[in-house]
Amino acid sequence: MKPDKKVPVSEDEINFSVNGDLYKVRVQSNWTLQYVLHDELGLTGSKELCNEGACGACAVIIDGRPVLSCMTLAIECDGQTIETVEGIARAKHPLVEAYVKHSCMQCGYCTPGFIVTAKALLDKNPSPAEEEIKEALVGNLCRCGTYPQHIKAVLEAANNLHRGQPI
Amino acid sequence: MSSDEMSKIQELFDNLKSDKYPLEEYRSVGKRGVRRIDGYEKATGYAKYTMDVQLPGMLYARFLTSPYPHAEIKSLDTSKAEALPGVRAVLRYDDPELPPGADLGGHETSDVPVLPKVAHFQGEEVGAIVAADSEEIAEHALALIEAEWEERPFVLDPEEAMQPGAPLVNPEAFPDGNITNQDQGIDVEEHGDVEKGFAEADKIVEFKFSQGLNTWIGPECPCGVFRWNGEYPEVWVKQQRPHICKRAIASWFGGIPMNKIQIHCLYQGASFGGWSQMPWNMGGHYCAAVIAKRTGRPVKWMFNRREDFYGGEMDIGIYYFKAGAKLDGTITAVKGRAVVVNQGMPVFGFVKHFAENTRIPNIYGKTEAVLVNKGPTTATRCEQNSNCYCLNEVFSHLADALGLDPVEVALKNDGAEGHDITWLNEQKTKLGFPVKDSLKECVEKGKAAIGWDEKWHLPGTKRLPNGKLHGLGFTWTHEWDDSGGTSEIAIRIERNDGTATILGCRSDVGVNAETAYCQVAADELGMRIEDVHYKAQVDATFFAMTPDTSTNMSVNGFAVRNAARLLKRQVLEAATIRRGVTQLGSAPPAFPGKKPEDLDIKDSVIYEKANPSNRKTLAELAKFAGAQGPICSPKGEPFRTGQPYLQYTYTQPLFAHSWQVQMGTYADVRLRFCRQAHFMEVEVDEETGEVEVKKVVTVNDVGRVINWEGCEGQQYGGAYMGIGRGRSEEVVHDPLTGVMLNGNLLNYKIPTMLDIGSIDTILVETGMGYGPYGLVGIGEDVATVTPTLIGPAVHNAIGKWVDDFPITPDRVLKALGKA
Repeated sequence: MKPDKKVPVSEDEINFSVNGDLYKVRVQSNWTLQYVLHDELGLTGSKELCNEGACGACAVIIDGRPVLSCMTLAIECDGQTIETVEGIARAKHPLVEAYVKHSCMQCGYCTPGFIVTAKALLDKNPSPAEEEIKEALVGNLCRCGTYPQHIKAVLEAANNLHRGQPI
Repeated sequence: MSSDEMSKIQELFDNLKSDKYPLEEYRSVGKRGVRRIDGYEKATGYAKYTMDVQLPGMLYARFLTSPYPHAEIKSLDTSKAEALPGVRAVLRYDDPELPPGADLGGHETSDVPVLPKVAHFQGEEVGAIVAADSEEIAEHALALIEAEWEERPFVLDPEEAMQPGAPLVNPEAFPDGNITNQDQGIDVEEHGDVEKGFAEADKIVEFKFSQGLNTWIGPECPCGVFRWNGEYPEVWVKQQRPHICKRAIASWFGGIPMNKIQIHCLYQGASFGGWSQMPWNMGGHYCAAVIAKRTGRPVKWMFNRREDFYGGEMDIGIYYFKAGAKLDGTITAVKGRAVVVNQGMPVFGFVKHFAENTRIPNIYGKTEAVLVNKGPTTATRCEQNSNCYCLNEVFSHLADALGLDPVEVALKNDGAEGHDITWLNEQKTKLGFPVKDSLKECVEKGKAAIGWDEKWHLPGTKRLPNGKLHGLGFTWTHEWDDSGGTSEIAIRIERNDGTATILGCRSDVGVNAETAYCQVAADELGMRIEDVHYKAQVDATFFAMTPDTSTNMSVNGFAVRNAARLLKRQVLEAATIRRGVTQLGSAPPAFPGKKPEDLDIKDSVIYEKANPSNRKTLAELAKFAGAQGPICSPKGEPFRTGQPYLQYTYTQPLFAHSWQVQMGTYADVRLRFCRQAHFMEVEVDEETGEVEVKKVVTVNDVGRVINWEGCEGQQYGGAYMGIGRGRSEEVVHDPLTGVMLNGNLLNYKIPTMLDIGSIDTILVETGMGYGPYGLVGIGEDVATVTPTLIGPAVHNAIGKWVDDFPITPDRVLKALGKA
């Protein structure tokens, strides 16, 4: 799509929290959240894959929901609390080690998006059934086809969360 | 050269037989639960891909693309783009610094225009590339470029492209016609006498099948970064073959010495073979190099998602077959003709699997490979895709015509090069392999898992309580890797803590080879798996086979093993001698009075075989590294110059470099002994034509499993990609305009988590592979074999053949006479 040359791009300052850290960022009105996280803040876990809301590789958690950061304008995130895969890792969420154990990644490009989506699921539903996991993760595409391994990992992470075990 | 070295070299070349050095005990190889070394990085977003690279002052470059499938640029006005604030360079096709052609990568060296002025497919990168302070500004600048195009006639269908008078697809490179290469565009493979075979047949079938274009979808789009560090290039490539990139770059700008080029090949968001062998895949880097030099800034070039869609699997086309068999299922002759699209790869031939897998004595296959005005085609997951389709289609059609169970027909014809399984078993014995019936083992396990004997029925005869038609499908072929290749690996024991580091090239697309190398080294060295690590070299220095040939383990695995064996010998020697520590002192022998052969290593502990309580850890051996290290230290007492009575020699570092030259690929070099078999259960809705894949069973005889989760990952992933390619994936072009219509992940349907009910993965270990410990590769196989599996499954359900792939609902309805 060709950019509309007539519309001037405005800029504004936003304040938001990412993984518990407060940021003050000057953003252009057409910047996506994915761009700001990945390129401006260096949080490379939110990946650009389809760039049109079809794959889930850019997922982050806002208000407890997995959100596609490539379809979210950064300028709309003023005052928001955002959680990315880096924050989930920093918190030592059991999903991470379960993902490693079950070899849920091949090329790994889409993997952070899965973890973010799975984390949002477990936050809401700490004991998901297999069908609920599939339903939650169906919007995340993995071209390497690792899908069955994710189900095992999420079930195990849920189990470990119950037992209060960190990684 | 010492006799030891000579014998080692001779041994390396003598590898067309069973592995001579199996281990007595495997402690890490073949064990479940080995933590993958890239797992945490990839799970947490810390893994870096070329797309993630940001350098100070970096510019972002985007290409102009053609709106037409075949057109020449008559004039190009880039003045408005150049004037846009933030634009730092616009490189045009008529730039005096661009040569008429350069080696821009590909299967072999190439000589192609860097920035063409003629587009041969819609979406081709032509005419100009803009570099700006941001991607957004570069995009904006592209929109300001005013191009005047002269449209040319085009052709999209391979059979139309062959007709006399068809528009020339690429008159610049192929002025004489659309056959890809006048010498190589027609390929004929022939064994025996097919007419004689048809005369012997009780039943003859004739049919045609076709494939729609499918493509790879690399999760990370094609991209790269080029920086000049003074006069030396530093380049980040997202490429499966980093060595080829380096070779190409070395030929640019009048020649750059290889040792002055720094290549980074980070983790790759996969490309499944796609893009890696195309003869323009370094075009972006060349343009970036020119702009980087001109601006003094690093340049990142990138494609967007749509641009990754141009191109796809090679040898997609129309196949015509005639095949004959006796009533008992013995196939007597197979004859085929194919018109396929092949935009630049060597023509492969499509009856190889009949020759390599079966006792069918009479085989004929003729390929006519043509160009069309679509994107480049290459080995997508693997070039053997057409062979897998052909073997499956012929066997399935014949079994149906004879009213036989297709599994029985496969077993009856299993063999090689026109000989039956008895002959093949004799060859296994001659080469030292275990004699096992791989196909039989695979199908027995697969049949049990899918419930074949209970569920299989004659086509179109089983309706389920939910009203849908039930079908079972089966296909098979050999298990392959393309083991012609070489590899270099080094391993060192680290100072201070005695851990082992494998040094090698990285070309990671996710198959977890690096963990598997660690497993091999750990078992050969007698070390714990957690004490061995693969340290990927940032540069493509050591040559290693890359994933696009499934040879990570079958070639590189050997090199790792060779190096580990040499290193183990060094470690045991070092344990028995006085080791130099610093210029001022040395360490006494760890095992005084012992010889290396008295010792062994287990769990990273060196011990005396006759007295296992006499033991020292590798860490204890290595810990004597002083401040100056052991490498240049004298062994013995402190030396004083001019005092000749003092002996001083140097303790060698614990470091071994080794390599492998692996022979053997394709027919006529070596026989394939390992097989794979795949099963599918479907339900077909007659009203909508929708095919629901309820279950897939994938059985692979990989000879020997090194890394279970890695192999199973290839089975799961192969099944998903294969079912996508067979059922829903097709790149569609508008016949009137030649424009690609569905270059995005909303309209090109790759499988989601819900697209297969369940997958059973079964690994068989017959030990009949040519790789270390009898292994054979798996990476390309499943995704290449299973696309065709949906064909017999749907036929078994509806009783009609759907021979146009992918088998989309409209094609099912058409076969049912409903559309």
